[in-house]
Amino acid sequence: MSDLKPLIETTGLVKKFGSFTALNGVSLKVYPGEVHALLGDNGAGKSTLIKILSGVFPPTEGQIHVEGQPVSFASPRNATDAGIGTVYQDLALNPLTSVTRNFFLGRELTRFNSPFGLLKMDEMHQIAIQEMAKIGINIADPEQAVGTMSGGQRQTLAIARAIYFGAKVLILDEPTSALGQKQQMEVLKTIRQVKDLGNIAIILITHNEIHARLIADRFTFLSLGEVIGEGTAKDLQGDDIKRLMAGGAEIGDLAKELAAT
Amino acid sequence: MSAAPRQESDRHDAKGPLTALFSRPEIGPIGVMLLLFGMLGYFSIPAGEFSLNPFAGEGFNALGIRNNLRVISQLGIIALGAGLLIIAGEFDLSIGSMVGFAGACMAMILRWGFSVVIPYLSFEGGVHIEFFTLIHLSDVSPLGAIAITMCFTLFFGWLQGYIVVRSGLPSFIVTLGGLFFLRGLTEVSLRSFNHRPDQVKGATTVTEIPDIKNIIHLPGHGEIEREAAKALPEADLIAIVNALPADNVASITDRLQYTYQRIADAKTDIMAAKGVKPLERALENAINSGNEVMVATIQDKIATFKVTPVVPKTVTDIDVARAYIDSVVTARPVANFFGGDILEPIFSWLYYPIDWNTNNFGNQFAPGLYSCVMIWVILSLLCYIMLSRTQAGNWIYSTGGNLNAAKANGVPTNKVKVSLFMFSAFCATIFATCQVFEVNTADAAKGNLKELEAIAAAVIGGIVMTGGFGTVLGIIIGAFIFGIAKEAFFYIPGIDGSFYRVFLGLVIIASALLNENIRKRIMGAV
Ligand SMILES: Nc1ncnc2c1ncn2[C@@H]1O[C@H](COP(=O)(O)OP(=O)(O)OP(=O)(O)O)[C@@H](O)[C@H]1O
Ligand SMILES: [Mg+2]
Repeated sequence: MSDLKPLIETTGLVKKFGSFTALNGVSLKVYPGEVHALLGDNGAGKSTLIKILSGVFPPTEGQIHVEGQPVSFASPRNATDAGIGTVYQDLALNPLTSVTRNFFLGRELTRFNSPFGLLKMDEMHQIAIQEMAKIGINIADPEQAVGTMSGGQRQTLAIARAIYFGAKVLILDEPTSALGQKQQMEVLKTIRQVKDLGNIAIILITHNEIHARLIADRFTFLSLGEVIGEGTAKDLQGDDIKRLMAGGAEIGDLAKELAAT
Repeated sequence: MSAAPRQESDRHDAKGPLTALFSRPEIGPIGVMLLLFGMLGYFSIPAGEFSLNPFAGEGFNALGIRNNLRVISQLGIIALGAGLLIIAGEFDLSIGSMVGFAGACMAMILRWGFSVVIPYLSFEGGVHIEFFTLIHLSDVSPLGAIAITMCFTLFFGWLQGYIVVRSGLPSFIVTLGGLFFLRGLTEVSLRSFNHRPDQVKGATTVTEIPDIKNIIHLPGHGEIEREAAKALPEADLIAIVNALPADNVASITDRLQYTYQRIADAKTDIMAAKGVKPLERALENAINSGNEVMVATIQDKIATFKVTPVVPKTVTDIDVARAYIDSVVTARPVANFFGGDILEPIFSWLYYPIDWNTNNFGNQFAPGLYSCVMIWVILSLLCYIMLSRTQAGNWIYSTGGNLNAAKANGVPTNKVKVSLFMFSAFCATIFATCQVFEVNTADAAKGNLKELEAIAAAVIGGIVMTGGFGTVLGIIIGAFIFGIAKEAFFYIPGIDGSFYRVFLGLVIIASALLNENIRKRIMGAV
């Protein structure tokens, strides 16, 4: 896949919060049709990096290129328009309203294109069902309240929504962290389906080594705001991944330390 | 036949129409509303009478309906503003003060006109403040007064909303400030503008506003108030009748003859009842004393008791002229839209020929419904469509349901909130407009505690206080429950009328518990 151009590329991203350096020169290349796992310990800067990519705040230094073009985002809306769809940890869903209303939240289809034009409910129901089916979930009732859906289904809804509204880069922040075993697998399957669409680049943040190994094509390891290792699935051995995820410390050493106490 | 693999969708039982009905959030409040309707019906049946029809009581005679619907719709109008704002996750405690302010503002403009003045320091004859009048409009039309008042109230609504979204302060505090500020401002301005030269301090009421909605255009007399027209010299009135087409005169005469006949009949009935009463008392005494001859005599007297029927008045040209003046359409449609009556032809038809809308004296009971009922219906319909069928509605739900989610999806949540603060002020102003044009007075104390009643109606109707949940139908039902409870308890014999507050207090808490339960069920927590 190295002949492909990266869909999104960052060079030397720096982010400072006052005197605190959360990111210190992070470069990243993500290719279409690939799952790129972003790994690292708590506080390594993963969420900060994706917040920059999704337009929540601007970087202090550094550049972002989407499809070769330099971009800068003033708001999350800008990032969405540039094709970066982010599925946040809280999924940005309103649990009190229906699947369809959430699917189209903020981008409802209306007559006359006005906020006070009537909603095209039937069309919206149809699209919501269809798009969720595409990545492997059948919902019976598009009027079902999101609050009554399983965690995995909600994740799928958020992903399907991002893709339908033109995401070329899909960013998933710990999509499996709050789920049970079976639902974790459901979400991994969904990610697989999205990957198989072929034209979408996926950035996956996770603390779960097994999940990363199951699904990721490429890895980037962050520690204390810097990249401490990267490579394709083939390049990296099992122990490498474990070691790098823990921020570079030797697991063997840790095991010895633990045994000693 | 091989079974298809089991899917997620198979886990949901198909909803029958009945389950769908009972899972609607309004079902509880509808039950309470029907209960109250029943109570009002039964308890308002006068003592001594008996009827199986719950709608036979005084609560449901024409005048009862007119008055009850007025209370309900006035509350319903402000409950819409309060309810939509709560769905978006904010509160407005300034509604009541806004009603008082808007009413006073409008009344003052109607009475004294509107001016823009610039205060400045004057040094002539000691330092004091003088006012330079920039603009003065002395004769402001009803529409103009409403528009100027709207500018003020919408600005206050906007300001409160702006402070809330900018500062992140709880709207409870900001609008609590608004509650005191606006009430005080209303009293201060009334006292300072509203006094005669011989008074030091002004009153906090505005009276002597002309009955604008009843100004009519009468050929030959120009624009004139209905009452003044009816009091014209007889020669003028006769001239008016002579100028009318014959069939018009005939139909008015026809109706007046019916009215006079009904009045005469009612008088006869009353006299008969009065005349029989002493006889009945005597009969009772006779029965008690066991004097059978006496009992028989009195019974015979009662059976044959008759009064000479009262002769109905004859219809004169003057009567026709006055009836005609009553039927002339208003020359001030805006004032009439807010303060007049609606459905007058129907209520007239219910009197003649239906003979239902008739009081004990044979007159027509209720002229129609208050116009605020129609305004409530229109506003409710618009709000219903907006909230459940448009993009704006989805934005309101998501702003209250999950603010961060709404923001992340590009919903302009601040605009949504500020607009709804303005809408709440708008509803309060409409409420005040109806009041001012109905009664032609304003009072600084108007609207006191209305904000809490509006919030209570919204809660009773299924609006969840934490936002994101509720319907316009619910708000409507909440207003009904609040309005009817007041009346129903008033009619219960031998019970303190204030028990309606006790009852409402319980209903509010029960509704809040129910709402929370429904919300949790939807969130998947139960
Ligand atoms: N808005 C902020 N202001 C100040 N410091 C911040 C801010 N956001 C993040 N940080 C700091 O930046 C560092 C990186 O945080 P970040 O959330 O990116 O970590 P993470 O890799 O996502 O961790 P986790 O795995 O726990 O989610 C942390 O030390 C955090 O305290
Ligand atoms: Mg994080």
